[in-house]
Amino acid sequence: MINLTLYKREWKANWILLVIFMGVLTMYATMIVSMFDPEMGDSLKVMAESMPEVFAAFGMADVGQTLLEFITGYLYGILLTAFPAVYIIILSNRLVAKYVDNGSMVYLLSGPQKRGQIVRTQALFQITSLLVMLVYVILVIIATSQILFPGDLEMKAFLRVNVGLFGLWILLSGVCFLASCIWNDSKMAIGVGSAIVVYAVLVQMISQVGEKFENLKYATPMSLFHADGLIANESQAWITCGVMYGVGILCYVAGVQIFKRRNLPI
Amino acid sequence: MKAIEISHITKDYGSHRGVFDLSFDVGKGEVLGFLGPNGAGKTTTIRQLMGFIKPDSGQVKIMGKDCFKRADEIRRHLGYLPGEIAFMDSMSGTEFISFVAKMKGMKDLGRAPELMKRFDLDASGKLKKMSKGTKQKIGIVCAFMQNPKIIILDEPTSGLDPLMQNRFVELILSEKRRGKTILMSSHIFEEVEKTCDRAAIIRSGELVAVEPMEKLCSGRQKKLEITFADEKMASEYVKEFRKARQSKHHPRMVAMKVGGELDEAVKRAAAYTVTDLDIHTQTLEEFFLHFYGGDKK
Repeated sequence: MINLTLYKREWKANWILLVIFMGVLTMYATMIVSMFDPEMGDSLKVMAESMPEVFAAFGMADVGQTLLEFITGYLYGILLTAFPAVYIIILSNRLVAKYVDNGSMVYLLSGPQKRGQIVRTQALFQITSLLVMLVYVILVIIATSQILFPGDLEMKAFLRVNVGLFGLWILLSGVCFLASCIWNDSKMAIGVGSAIVVYAVLVQMISQVGEKFENLKYATPMSLFHADGLIANESQAWITCGVMYGVGILCYVAGVQIFKRRNLPI
Repeated sequence: MKAIEISHITKDYGSHRGVFDLSFDVGKGEVLGFLGPNGAGKTTTIRQLMGFIKPDSGQVKIMGKDCFKRADEIRRHLGYLPGEIAFMDSMSGTEFISFVAKMKGMKDLGRAPELMKRFDLDASGKLKKMSKGTKQKIGIVCAFMQNPKIIILDEPTSGLDPLMQNRFVELILSEKRRGKTILMSSHIFEEVEKTCDRAAIIRSGELVAVEPMEKLCSGRQKKLEITFADEKMASEYVKEFRKARQSKHHPRMVAMKVGGELDEAVKRAAAYTVTDLDIHTQTLEEFFLHFYGGDKK
């Protein structure tokens, strides 16, 4: 099914990248959680009122009163989507296109493995490394919340939001992985992947600024992730969440299939 | 069943790049040289053998198996040295060799230690910092270490110094004695001459000839430049040996192209005082011109 030697080698080659991104996310997560202030009305809100457009662009308008709403509003709007997206762009290029581009794919294909097995291993590595990142972020947020505001975080609703967040990561990583499988040229793979991701993030930011651009939210995959809907356990939020997982996995499958059949200039 | 069969493959990259209706085969236990100038389509052919690219038409088979569809089964018994070697730069040489051994499903390093010794290879450094020659040695070790039945080598001696080139020739000869099937591409006649039973010659993507080595060698000429002690000797030599021409810029030197008359050329020169002797072997292009009397088309 997959190749364990290669899977281990990818961990060895990429753990530093993962640690760097987890480090950045730790900083943001602990900072945002610690800014929550249930008694005094929050300081971020004062800031938000002073520059509403900027906060709206980052999805931080109308942040609710509870700790969970506060966290999802400030953290899950942009920080936990844009930063992992950068990680996804870098990693998916490293996992396939870079090997083809510089020719070292020859050595991944030097044994009696089918191409499918090799590329499935890379896909699985990307997904598991994202899962590690997600679990880590969840634990950091829970730990910080429990230390600063014991019992304030509604655990089940919080986990539902994370199921949605992971769906978004799967979607973005699927698209980037597909690009990495299609193009021989590392630059092309990274260019196409990042163009799609930057477009998605930018359009989402614009759509949040004002009513004038609200309809733009239908033009970006980011709006498939409804944090509020998932907190409220609305069925529509679950459907769009399912769409993210579905399309993302479809992209992974397409990438594997394309890689199996294409010509490799190695 | 032939070890390697290539029948009527075409892979057209446009503007006459690629290979066109190419057919030849390699028998079991045979060492075949695959000769052609740069850009002739050698690597394109080899990539099809490795199952990295599909031919537009025609068939490539190794041990009777389709090279693209059953590449994984074929690789179990195949060693490959790519023409442009690229490794995972973050690894050290030893890490890389054991990584490749594991990818090949080997329980240990196989013949790697023996091969490293043969090529005086110290693989402990980072791959990124290694010279072209050292990388080439690592590539060679990886190609041979699982003791494969069939070995495909794309320009195997590029980057190696003359001493290591000789060790490589010895390696090929000993593998040949072990009954291995080897396909080796090159643009240098000499390295093929020393090792191969037959050679397939390709130019602009088309097969020019597949001939036994002896036949190719017999048709081959060398350019001889002999410098005598004085001009008189040179002019007398030219009178005796019609193929020679006296150089205008260096009157003491004579130049000639010789094939079968080599013996005569040398023996006649022995009558005079020879101060210098240079032998230039033909380039492949010159060789084609001689062997086929100009452009075949």
